[in-house]
This record gives sequence, structure tokens and C-alpha cells, in this order.
Amino acid sequence: MKELVRLTDVTKVYQGGITGALNGVSLAVEKGEFTAIMGPSGSGKSTMLNLVAGLDRPTSGSVSVSGTDLGKLGETGLARFRRDHIGFVFQFFYLLPNLTALENVLIPAQLKGDGSTGRGRELLEKLGIADVADRYPARLSGGQQQRVAVARALINNPTLLLADEPTGALDTHTGEQVMELLGDLHREGQTILLVTHDAKLATRHAARVISVMDGKIVDDARLASPERAPSEVIRMRSEEKLR
Amino acid sequence: MRAVLVKTLADLRRRRLQAAVIFLTVLFAMAAGTTAVTLMSQTRDPYQIAFDKQRGAHLQVAFNATTDRQLMSNTPALIGASASGGPYPASNIQFRFGDRKFYVDAVGRDNPGGAVEVLSITSGRWPLANDEIVLTRSFSELNRISVGDRLKVTSVAQTPSLTVVGEVVDIDEGSADLSSQRAWMLPAALPALSTPDSSFYLMDYRFPTDPTSAQLQSSLDRLKTSLPAGSVAGSLNYLLIRSIFNITNQILTGVLVAFSVFALAATIAIVATLVTGIVISAYREIGIMRAIGFTPYQVVEVFALQIVIPALAACLVGVTAGTLASQPLLANSSHALGLAYTPTFSIGLDVLFLFGGLLVVAVAATVPALRAAQLKPIVAITKASAPRGAGGRLLRQGAARLRLPRPVVLGIGDAFARPLRAILTLVTVLLGVATIVVAVGLPRSFELINNSETGAGNYQVIVTRTSAYPDSEVMRLLNAQPQTARVVAVGGQNVIVPGVGDPVNTHLFRGDSSRLGYMVVAGRWYSAPGEVVAPAALIRDAHLKIGDSFTGTANGQPLQLRLVGETYDINNLGHSLFMDISTMASVTPAVEPFLYDITLMHGSDVSSYVRRVATAQPDLLDVRASDTSLIAPVKIIDLVLLILAGVLGLIGVGGVFNTLLLNTRERIRDTATLKSLGMSPRQVVVMVGASAGLLALVGGLAAMPLGLTLHHLLNDAISGSAGNDTPPAAYGVFAAWELTAIPLAGVVVAIAAAMIPGRWAARSNVVEVLHAE
Repeated sequence: MKELVRLTDVTKVYQGGITGALNGVSLAVEKGEFTAIMGPSGSGKSTMLNLVAGLDRPTSGSVSVSGTDLGKLGETGLARFRRDHIGFVFQFFYLLPNLTALENVLIPAQLKGDGSTGRGRELLEKLGIADVADRYPARLSGGQQQRVAVARALINNPTLLLADEPTGALDTHTGEQVMELLGDLHREGQTILLVTHDAKLATRHAARVISVMDGKIVDDARLASPERAPSEVIRMRSEEKLR
Repeated sequence: MRAVLVKTLADLRRRRLQAAVIFLTVLFAMAAGTTAVTLMSQTRDPYQIAFDKQRGAHLQVAFNATTDRQLMSNTPALIGASASGGPYPASNIQFRFGDRKFYVDAVGRDNPGGAVEVLSITSGRWPLANDEIVLTRSFSELNRISVGDRLKVTSVAQTPSLTVVGEVVDIDEGSADLSSQRAWMLPAALPALSTPDSSFYLMDYRFPTDPTSAQLQSSLDRLKTSLPAGSVAGSLNYLLIRSIFNITNQILTGVLVAFSVFALAATIAIVATLVTGIVISAYREIGIMRAIGFTPYQVVEVFALQIVIPALAACLVGVTAGTLASQPLLANSSHALGLAYTPTFSIGLDVLFLFGGLLVVAVAATVPALRAAQLKPIVAITKASAPRGAGGRLLRQGAARLRLPRPVVLGIGDAFARPLRAILTLVTVLLGVATIVVAVGLPRSFELINNSETGAGNYQVIVTRTSAYPDSEVMRLLNAQPQTARVVAVGGQNVIVPGVGDPVNTHLFRGDSSRLGYMVVAGRWYSAPGEVVAPAALIRDAHLKIGDSFTGTANGQPLQLRLVGETYDINNLGHSLFMDISTMASVTPAVEPFLYDITLMHGSDVSSYVRRVATAQPDLLDVRASDTSLIAPVKIIDLVLLILAGVLGLIGVGGVFNTLLLNTRERIRDTATLKSLGMSPRQVVVMVGASAGLLALVGGLAAMPLGLTLHHLLNDAISGSAGNDTPPAAYGVFAAWELTAIPLAGVVVAIAAAMIPGRWAARSNVVEVLHAE
């Protein structure tokens, strides 16, 4: 398969400490993969996602996505890169409160200059929330809000869908529904990079699970049939903790 | 209390920019207000002090030269005056200094002292010989004539020379730029300078207490009825002179008071917006404060003190600055009155104004801060901040339908996300733009009126003849000049109008006076003998309305007149008449013009024309180019208006800036989200700029009618203080494109002000912002 994301010897040091830092991480993600990044709080998994999205810059090393070296892009270039290549789903949805669900979905397309609403409605239909298209976020349930966020992430047909703890703010049942949705997208060919601390969710849907600890990749498991092999990953994480 | 102070000071350090906005807006408002209050409280006093010190005349009466001296000497007792001066022989003389000629009323007096109208010598000495003369300091300074200069009298055939030996301040006449002036010589010198037409007697009267206008009128009526008809040629009272002295300060005070109220209102709006914004964005902080033991009252104190502390500093600086700013104007008044200038201000008034201003700001800060006290701690901690404003939906939808770029659409919606904040911001923009409209319009109105008074664009040269050079010769000379396009000759005569105390100075025209540029306020310009036009004050005092006929008295003869129009004329505060010379000829056949307004052919060289005509009769004609420049008081008012417009404009920009700062900070998570979705820094700046632009546009458009109304009202107030109604043309001084350009300029300035919060938002780190949330 074609390589989509490459992190080469990436180090990220935050001012005032090493919490959340990455320490010489190298990683390649191929197109079409559903990769889960797991790790405890402060391990650096969200930092990794932010670097791939071009929201943050590494202290050293390089990050390239779709053959583009993000280190060579300025702020405007990174904004265009995100518009064209990245869909981002946040833990707390981050919908704009003063826009309706449909307007939220359409924003990334409109920032590119595309004013059509067809694909937005299509996505809402596909995600089962077409009936709330004209509602404001405050009047949506958590699950509905996250579906809107997913639709918003998909509106520009991103090369890569990034999801940072997408179920973190949802109840178990709703979280499972959202993960099913990501699984469906993956099956349709969408490359997904998921950050989660829930091993069960990760192994049930992702084909590859990368474990991060203290800013380093401690495990990189490719699961032939992800739904049948979660225990192996969980075991490895537990062993790592014990060390 | 210590905890409250510690927290307040810590918050002030954190919110330095907002503290600076408060400091500057309060400073401007207080400085303008203090200047106004100081001028209002102090302007009347210097005149009164000088009037008492120089034993000013409550009433001055000019008597016909043929009036019996004994009769005049008996008049003080007749009207109950406690002191009197005169009768002094007087004569209207013309003299030449350099290439200019001037008219003054030369008064014969042995000394500058006496029971009434003490003349305060400011330079030189009193005349000791018949060829010496003393001028007023105001006249000398205006015309750059100094002690020792030689003046050549041109109103008599002998053309004697006089030496200026002194300068005095006379409390009983207005300043030289607003009034005709007197000069003093020894009584024995007067006969040689007098002609039968130019001679008169002057008497000064002082009463035991300051008389009212009605009492003065009653005294004047008694004089007229007790003396032979026609004896009283004219009069002047202290109320009119005081008005002339104070008119500039009165107008300035009116303008300053109006705009100080504006500045204070804008400041209140900014303070309220700021405190509301701080409270909204600090829910969690409020919750924590309450949780660790702050009482609701102490929470309010913390928020209010954050405003009151910079406001207190601003009040202290502003009151001091305002007091200092008023001093040059007061010094100017003192100088004109011949008083030694000493800084005049009222500490009590300053302190009162300081605390008053501070109280207003404190109330404006406390009312929105009360919201913080009402919050339940747990709710405040949980919510972290107030629900984000969801207003502006309709605007956003409307903008989207116009297919505007998405950042612009979002910015437009954000502008009104919090309607109350948007309204308060609009108030500051409204007041700022309205002031700018006034500051642009009033000077133009002044200029228009000044042009009508000086004939700008209608005639270029003014010739004045002495009685030794006949009218027919002047006309022959002028008509012989190939560049002369039109000559309108002007004469003068006093007319007694029923209901008006003093004889009315009447302008008598020969020629097409309708083309001299006098502004018609109502009705029409006269077109036939017997028709007259007059300014508002005369029409009001004579209880006339346009179309009315009345009988005046000129030269002791009845004169049938019909009022056909109202004009604008500030001379004698609106007490004058305008008519054709043929109207007067029916009762005074010998009346002749003495002044000639000359319109030159297009492209003529005014200077060479003036030189050529002046050379023809250097002693008997005064030839000068029409001076169309603004008088000093108007220039001062224009300058003050310009400063006020700058101040209010800055406060308006500050209001927009403040709101954008609050909006941008409050919506930083949304902005970070948008950036994570691909919004470029430029698009972020455009979004913030669109908010600013919309607020400025709405505020600016709403400000136009307010500004135009204010311009209308101030024009009326200023015209009214000079005894006139505003000519319609003085209202319509704005071109249509300017009415569009002013709000658009406001939009440009507001967008420029939006660059700071816009760039801050554009540069914010998405990861840090979202992590912090």
C-alpha cells in the first residue's frame, strides 16, 4: 500500500517540562489503514496527532503527509493543507455554537470556496442525522454532536481522518455507535488515525494499534483480524506498565 | 479588603490593555468636561471684575452734535444715574497707516480717569498735545499699530498727522475684531478733525446697581422724551458689550458641554461593555473566588475596582488637563478686558467634577458586575464561562444569501452575537461619527456665513470715501477702470423702529445689492423702494413678521417700510435694516453712499486694481481687497471642534476595539476550531475585520441623522446667540458623497483597529487553546 503519513525521528519538547513530549518517534501510516494510537494520559499520543494535522510543529524531526513535508509550510500553507487533506474529530466535538448542524458541516468546504450544500446534506443523511440539520449544537445530544463533527471532518473528502478520543465525552453505547461509524468509513477506504485510551474500542475497529508511553512508541501491532485479537494488545500494554 | 485589592491589582496587571482603554476614554471625557465647566464658571467673573474696577458705564448714549450741553448735563439726574461721564465731544474720523485706512470714533477727554469709564492705560501715556492720540490695545494689536506710530487723518481736508502715544483698555466697548473702536484725544484737538456729519457727543451713565435690560430701556425712553426730538443718536449698554465679550466662550462652552456629555456617554458604554465582557469570560474565576471565601459583594468590588482604579487616574489627569486647557481661553478674555491674567479655576468645582465623573464610571462598572454576585459558585465553576452569544443568526443568514466569503459571513454574525454589547458599541461609534459630522459641517457653515458677511466670491474690492471726495467722482473713477464689472454703493443712516430701543443701523444700497451675497433666511431680498429686510433679532424685538408694514423714523421723518425678508447679519447682534437708498431718499434726499463694493471682471488682478484706484486718491479713498478670512473666535471654535471630533472619534474606535477584543477572546476556542478545520490566518483576520466593519457601518449610518440634527441645533444656537436665525444654506453644507464617505471612513478605521485582535486570534496556537478548554 502507498505510504500516507511519515514521522521521522520526531521530538517535541514543551516549554516548562517534558509532559506530553515525543522523543525520537518514527512512524509510517499507509493509505487505507485504520490505525489506533493508545497510551495513558501525557504519553504523547495527542501530540502526535496534532503534529500530523499540522496544528503543532515538532521540535526536531520531520512530519510528512501525502508527500508534503509539513515543516516547509507556513501558517497559511498549513491551513490549506488541513482543508485539503485532513478531517479532525475532537473529543469535545468543538462545534461552533452559533451555527446549525448543517452550517457546521459546511464550514470547511466554504473555507475552500465551495458554497454547495448537497454534500453536507448527503453526509448528514449517511450518518443518520439529516433530521437535525437545522438545529443548533445546544439542542443536539452528545452522539448527534459527534456525528455532526464527523460529517464536518469528511466534508472535504480528506485524505486522512484524525480522531482524538472521539468517544471520550460520550456514554458507552453512543461511543460504540461512533466507532461503528468510523469502522464503516474505513471499510469504504478512509484512512483513519485514532487516538484513544480504550483498548477494547481500538482493537475492535483498528487494524493497527500503536502504543505510546512517555513520548515513545512501545508497541506497533498489526492485527490481521482486529476484532479477534484485542487481548494481545492489552497484555502488551499491561506488561509495559509493569516494567 | 486586602484580598480584594490584591486580586484587583493582579487582574489589572493581567488586563493592561483594557485598563489603558478605560484610562484614555475617561481621560478624554473628563478633560473636555472640565474645560467646559471651567469656562462656564469663570467667563462671567473676569468681565464683572474689570467692569467694577474700571467703573464701566451701564449706559452710553450718543447725542446729536447740536444738542444743548446743559441739557445733556442734566440727564444723569433725569434717569437716576449715580455717576456720569461727559458730555465728551466725539467725531468719526478716518486715518491712514501705511497703505491701510481705518475709522475710529475719536473722543475728546482730558484724562483717562473719572467717575465712569476709567480707561486703563496698558502702554504709553495719555495725550498731552493736540496731535496725540490714544488707541485701544485691541485695535492696536489687531492692526499692528504701536506707540510712536504716526497716523494721517484723511477724513478732513487738512489731513493732519497724529502720533500714537498710548494704548488703553476700555471696558465699555467690544473687542476690535467684533466692534468698531474708539480713540482718545484732548478735547481741544477734536474741532480740527470734525465735520458736521461726523460729530456727536458721548455720555456715560452708571447706576447704583446693575440695571436690567428693561430698566435700561426705560432710562433711554425717558431721555428721548425729555430732550428735543432727534437728540439721541444712539446708545450702547453693558449687557450687549458683555455678550460680545463672552460670545466666543459661550459658543465654545455650549459645544464643549454637548460633546462632553457625548464623551461621557461613550465612556459609560465602553465601561459597561468591558465589565460585562470580563464577567462573562471569568465565570470559573468567579466560582473559585466564591469557593475560597469572597462574598458576592467582594466579587463585585473586584470587578468594579478594576475599572475605578484606572478611571481615578484618568479623572485626576483629565481634570487637571481640562483646567489647564481652559486657561488660554480665559487668559484671552482677561487680556481683552485689560486684566492681569491670573489662573482662574475653582478647586471645589474641579473636585466635584472629578468625583462626579468617577461616580458615573463606578456605577457603569458596578451594574454589570452585579451579575457576578448573582452567580452560584458551583454553576460558575462548572460552566467556566457564560454561554456564548448566539445572536446574529439572521445577519449571518442574510450575509450567506449574498454569497459573501464564509469568514466575512462568520464575522458579520459575531458582531451581534451579544446584542447588548453590540448596542453599547454602536453607541460609542454613533457618538464619535456624529461628532465628526458636526466638526466637518460647522466650520463649513461658519465659512458660508463668513463669506456672506464678507462678500467672498461676490465682490473683491471695497472702497471707502471721505466726505471730501464726492460720490460722483468715486463712481466716475471706478467706472473708468476696465476691470470693474459691477459697483454696489452702500450708505448708512439710523432709523428708529417701533419696539426697538436703539436707533437701528440701516444699510442703504445703490445698485444690485441682491448680488452681494447676503443670505436670505426667509422671504426674499427687497426689490422695490419701501421694502426692507432685517435679521431675526430686529424682527423679534419689533414684533414683526414678513409681509408686515411699519413706520420707522429717520431724520425725524416718518418712513413707511414693509418687511419682505429675513437676512443674516451679526452686526449689532442682529439689529440692522437693509433697503434701497431710494427708500431713504424720500425723507433724507441728501443721503449718499460712502462705501463701494466692487465686483471685478473674471480674471482681473485684485492687487493691481487696488493699487491703481488707491493711487488715484491716496488721501481721500480707502481702497482694499475684501478680507474674507475668518475672525479669530471662529478659528478657535473650529479648532476646538476639530479636537473634540478627534477625541470622540478615538473613543468610538476604542469602543469597537474593546468589543472586538472581548469577542475575539471569548470566541478563541471557536477560532481555534476553525483554524483546525483549515481557516487560514488571513481568513481569521478577515473574519474579525468583518465584525468591526459591520459595527462601524451600522453605527456610522445611524450617526449621520444624529450628526446632521446636532449640526442643525448647534447652528441654531450659535446663530441665535448672535441675534440671527440660521440660513437654510448653512444647514446643507454636506455633499451627498460625503454623507456616504464619512461612515465608510469609519468602517475603514474600525477595520484597521480590528487588526490587533484579528492578528492575535490568527496567531493563537490551536493546540494550546483547545488544550486549555
